[in-house]
Amino acid sequence: MKPALEVKNLRKVYEGGLEALKGINLSIPQGSFYGLLGPNGAGKTTTIGIITGLVNITGGSASVLGFDSVTEFRQARKLIGLSPQELNFDVFFSIGELLELQAGYYGYSHKEAKERTTIMLEQFGLTEKRKSRARELSGGMKRRVQIAKALVHDPKIVILDEPTAGVDIELRHMLWNYLRKINEEGKTILLTTHYIEEAEQLCETISIINDGKIIATDSPNKLTQAHGMSGLEITLTSKVADLTLDPWAYNNIDGKIHVNMNHPEKEMANVINQILKQGGEIENVQIYRSSLEDVFLKLTGKSLHEENEKFESQEALLNV
Amino acid sequence: MFNRGFWVIVKREVKRFMFLYKQTLLPSVISSGLYIIVFGAAMGSRIGEIKGVEYIHFIIPGLVMMSVINPAYQNSSSSIMQAKFLRFIEDILITPLSGLEISLSYIIGGTVRGVVNGAFVLLLGYFLTGFQVGNWLLTFVYLSTVAWAFAGAGVIVGIYAKSWDSIMVITNFFFMPLIFLGGVFYSIEMLPEFWRNFSMVNPLYWMINGLRYATLGIADTSHELSLGISIIFAIFFSTLASFMFSKGYRIKT
Repeated sequence: MKPALEVKNLRKVYEGGLEALKGINLSIPQGSFYGLLGPNGAGKTTTIGIITGLVNITGGSASVLGFDSVTEFRQARKLIGLSPQELNFDVFFSIGELLELQAGYYGYSHKEAKERTTIMLEQFGLTEKRKSRARELSGGMKRRVQIAKALVHDPKIVILDEPTAGVDIELRHMLWNYLRKINEEGKTILLTTHYIEEAEQLCETISIINDGKIIATDSPNKLTQAHGMSGLEITLTSKVADLTLDPWAYNNIDGKIHVNMNHPEKEMANVINQILKQGGEIENVQIYRSSLEDVFLKLTGKSLHEENEKFESQEALLNV
Repeated sequence: MFNRGFWVIVKREVKRFMFLYKQTLLPSVISSGLYIIVFGAAMGSRIGEIKGVEYIHFIIPGLVMMSVINPAYQNSSSSIMQAKFLRFIEDILITPLSGLEISLSYIIGGTVRGVVNGAFVLLLGYFLTGFQVGNWLLTFVYLSTVAWAFAGAGVIVGIYAKSWDSIMVITNFFFMPLIFLGGVFYSIEMLPEFWRNFSMVNPLYWMINGLRYATLGIADTSHELSLGISIIFAIFFSTLASFMFSKGYRIKT
């Protein structure tokens, strides 16, 4: 089966010499929920831009269900819906007209476009706002319109660039549920996000992109197993002299024993037995595991928290 | 090619200027009305006839062209500039439409506005002065070809411009002088030789001359050449505009 999206040795050098993509490869299977995670300026939006035709390609190729994004752009673009990070609305028209126009650009007849618009407005709880203009809507509603615009022509592949940026928790969860639902119904979703929880909750596979290169690709669990740290934290009631935990080394931090291992749940009984045999009394045992966020920090040297804070402060500025 | 999506952009362009009719349709009708009253009625009686035509009628083809050129240019340039500025041009760039289709849809939108404006001024000329069109078909050909050319120029400037100033600079520093020096209010035969020769290199002179032939049946110079020049400009500007759109010049990064 052809991948929904495939990117081979993709390169982008912007005017002025900035090399935004340094030959990245991605293969996103049909029906998957895929995350592209990376700090600001890593190349996420450039990658999406090339796939959707907003950015000119420097080298390599991008294809959509086997259709080349440059030479077969008509077939390729028809299959994709894009929700850009920055809200962008045609200011002359109402929400309903906007969606009808967008469906029309993809070749829907006036009648079909109206029907698709009605469905989208219902699904996003915007039916009452059909005749309102975007500027009259709240931030959350605008974001819903933005996503509806990406879906109005019923594309097989949906690309969402920071879909929940700046929305409240309730709407974020509503959008997550909606995205899960359309993914289960068969749509392939490519998501970029600053919210680690979003990637962990939604994505089957994640690629971490940094400085124009893909540095890791796997499921969130495997990424944390491969690049993160996990182990056991054991609190003893009293200190045991010359404790050995074969074959592991351990650290004693604030009276708590930390043993790093890949599968702490499997090895827990073994470790406990060794401690008991050496006369130790155990007060508490806990499994610790690195989060995807720790993995991200380890791989990129940048914290997503900083990214979030930067991003949110930018948004706050825009809202002034 | 030129499927439904293409016509939806054209429809969007037309709906946009209809929605903004106070900015897009009324001003040229009002200013043309004022020109007819001030120049035609007040000064016309002193000037008399030019080439056997009343002065008030002589100036109407030039006023019509003025009402075709500026709105056609402004329609496509402003529309693209706004779409670029607010980034909703991305909604169109991601669709299965080619650069050629997108640029032509903007050009047709501007052409419709130019022709509608021109038709309004012809109508105004009829009501205010009894102006009659001699050859409707040729008149329509001139209106649409010239509107097409300047809507094409609008697309080019809309793509190129980084600010609204650039769009107005072209109107104020190029089109207005060229229109006024293009024989709207006089026959070039009334000019000294140097200025007469100068007018001959002004493409807008030929366009006005051609429309005057189509409506009144009089021309300073060859009407066929006028038509040829109008068509060449229409082809040149629309080809360049489509090329720029296809390459994504200043639209795609």
